[in-house]
Amino acid sequence: MTSATIATSALSVRNATKIFGAQVALDNVSIDVAPGEVRALVGQNGCGKSTLIKILAGFHEPEPGIEVLVGGSELSLGDPIASEAAGLRFVHQDLGLVGNLDTVDNLALGQGYITNVIKTISWRKERSKAREALAALGYDINVSIPVAGLQMSERTAVAIARAMSERGTPPKMLILDEPTANLPGPEAQRLYQLVRRVADSGVAVLFVSHHFDEVFEMAESVTVLRDGKLIDTRPVAGLSEDQLIELVVGRKLEEHDKGQADNREHATQVLQLSGVGGRNVSGMDLTVHKGEVVGVAGITGSGREEVAALVFGGHERSGEILVDGKALPQNRPDISIERGVALVPAERHANASLLDQTLRENITLVDPGRHMSLGVLRRNPEKADVRVWLDRLSVKPSGKTEYKMNQLSGGNQQKVILARWLRQEPSVLVLDEPTQGVDVGAKADIHTLVDEAAAQGAAVLVCSTDHEELVRVCDRVVIMRRGRAAEILRGDKVTAENITAATIGRDRAEPAA
Amino acid sequence: MSEIQEVAAPRRRINFGFDKYSGIYVWALLVLVFALWIPDLFLTADTFKQVLTFQAISAIVALGLILPVAAGAFDLTIAGTLTVSVCFTAWALTSGYGIVVAAGGSILIGIIIGLANSLVVVKLKVDSFIGTLGMSSILIAIAYRITDSSQIVLSTAGYAPFFEFARTELFGLPRSVYYAAIIALFFWWILEYTPGGRYLYAVGGNPVASRLAGVRVGRVTMVAFISSGITSAFAGIVYLATIGTATPDSGSGYLLPAFSAVFLGATQIRPGRVNVPGTLVAIFLLATGVTGLQLAGAPSYVTQLFNGAALIIAVALASRTARRQG
Repeated sequence: MTSATIATSALSVRNATKIFGAQVALDNVSIDVAPGEVRALVGQNGCGKSTLIKILAGFHEPEPGIEVLVGGSELSLGDPIASEAAGLRFVHQDLGLVGNLDTVDNLALGQGYITNVIKTISWRKERSKAREALAALGYDINVSIPVAGLQMSERTAVAIARAMSERGTPPKMLILDEPTANLPGPEAQRLYQLVRRVADSGVAVLFVSHHFDEVFEMAESVTVLRDGKLIDTRPVAGLSEDQLIELVVGRKLEEHDKGQADNREHATQVLQLSGVGGRNVSGMDLTVHKGEVVGVAGITGSGREEVAALVFGGHERSGEILVDGKALPQNRPDISIERGVALVPAERHANASLLDQTLRENITLVDPGRHMSLGVLRRNPEKADVRVWLDRLSVKPSGKTEYKMNQLSGGNQQKVILARWLRQEPSVLVLDEPTQGVDVGAKADIHTLVDEAAAQGAAVLVCSTDHEELVRVCDRVVIMRRGRAAEILRGDKVTAENITAATIGRDRAEPAA
Repeated sequence: MSEIQEVAAPRRRINFGFDKYSGIYVWALLVLVFALWIPDLFLTADTFKQVLTFQAISAIVALGLILPVAAGAFDLTIAGTLTVSVCFTAWALTSGYGIVVAAGGSILIGIIIGLANSLVVVKLKVDSFIGTLGMSSILIAIAYRITDSSQIVLSTAGYAPFFEFARTELFGLPRSVYYAAIIALFFWWILEYTPGGRYLYAVGGNPVASRLAGVRVGRVTMVAFISSGITSAFAGIVYLATIGTATPDSGSGYLLPAFSAVFLGATQIRPGRVNVPGTLVAIFLLATGVTGLQLAGAPSYVTQLFNGAALIIAVALASRTARRQG
């Protein structure tokens, strides 16, 4: 930034530093955004983007030495009300709308309604005000239906309209978190136009993004953070995608393999997906062979989080999934299990655990009848069976088949869920975030168990946001972008940097349009 | 297994089982108090028989409720099903149909009610509390329709073979007591010793996790509703054969005691989950208290008072146990 722009900046941050315990989350970062400018803020997870935004929003108290000017006047930090009064407006990724209220009510949330002399809400005035606010953003929507019934981009527009409303001071700067993360192509386009309108009205826009699509389509300039440090701020014009990835990741990248062709013809194909689609995923093809571990990576909203459930048949889906050549029906987990498919789902408390039941009951929940004779479940053989699995997975404390699930630590709970499925000797093992909230030791154990399952001939699919984990266990990694299996990394291309770069990369083959 | 006990034993010193068996201790205490207070009235074979006989029907209804509650579903139709069964059986008998047709028809009605409840809760996805509340109102309407809003009385002389069904005594106790015992054994076996029992508790514990572990959640819920429908209908037949009179409010007194017993039972024997022995302990604990108080001269409303208070105390105890464990 030149010194000329500083005087008139919509936002000027000098020397922002934030330390959490021993960790420097933000290290002496300075940025300037001019009025009417659209600026992208990019970087890997943990680079300091969110910390910076939270300092601006008044949620974090930064270290001394910082100076923040909004429209030339100093902002008092650590106070959300002061941030709003200064003209900073935030729209978070979840938008913060109440789904069963209509647009009028959502716009009135937090700022009150227009009332007449006897304090009755004047709905007619409220409605026309809401319509005007959205028309200013280029949207003409029914303001009287619950916002849950609107399209995603329309909901984003409602959230932006609310952020842009007067509330005492006119907005000077709009700050968006991943604005198009969940939007399909055409709706994303609509949002780009909306952001342009906001900028044209003289308000500066700063948006945090993992999507390079929106950076290149929407932003005039981009600020890159890495490990809490400011790397560079550059105009988007003239910047190539590879240059930007290099700035984000910190080193030069090798070319990725592209396409789906696989030369493992000699190995047996166990799991085959063709044209599989769901809520976010579409047209996904994938083959996993006997003894192979395939990873699935992608940012939130890319479809990664849906792949495991689609393969297992926990969701409605289109397309075809074959296991050992036989088609798997959708929405029938029981049949999937019969065919040898196992799913260790993400969020074990919600999706896998019977927290107030014993480890024994948790493990034998699949196929509890194995130790049944003469019409009675035999408890001692069942305990012996369970104890073998608890030992094999070194669940601590050891041998406690009658402990309740909620008496164990997270890592041990995850091992119990894994034991439930390894006991089935699955031919297809699907793991979704297998080491989420798990300590380092248990994580290493779980990785070893994945290796062993593959060595015994299972086809393993690991969906994870932990890129180091994918590098550790996978032979290949499928990269999901905008609901599609966009790329496959193989062999020595499977590195954490390459995975990160590929997940945030643009769809070169299929530009979102 | 011995290994486990060796490891687990040092954790507790002496365990009188106050957590699991508190109901039995309280029951023993009640017996002792009444034995000292009103020995002539309370400590008699008649009282013993009276408690067992009066509670047979309540016990059957409560036992039927265990399966849906284990699967995490409320079945508020149990009393309505009993009423419809009572009224239908009485109507069929007085209309000249045989005992087999009358009783068989009642059981069939129980199955249909169970299916209707499953349709409402599983397919239409209405919360089980609301869905079965609505259903029970419909059932009362049906009972009024069957009886033409009045009562049907079966004369003791005219329907002797039917009354034998519940009243014939074996070792000094009427058959109805043995029915309750057989049903208790059956549900205890289902819940403790079959995969179906595991699925019921799993669905009650976490339906999402159960589904992802291959449990057919909807089917398990349906089986639970049908079993409670059949059991309540059977209780209705036993009721009519015991009491001999059918009215559209025959079942109204059975809903709350059944829920009290099942929830109080969930604090007993296997704390934290509804279970058959716990429910039996709860039924006889409540019955002993009520009978003793009535014999001591307490007014008849003491039954309602006792059952209501017991339900609240039971659930409070259960949530306290859950907090301590969590």
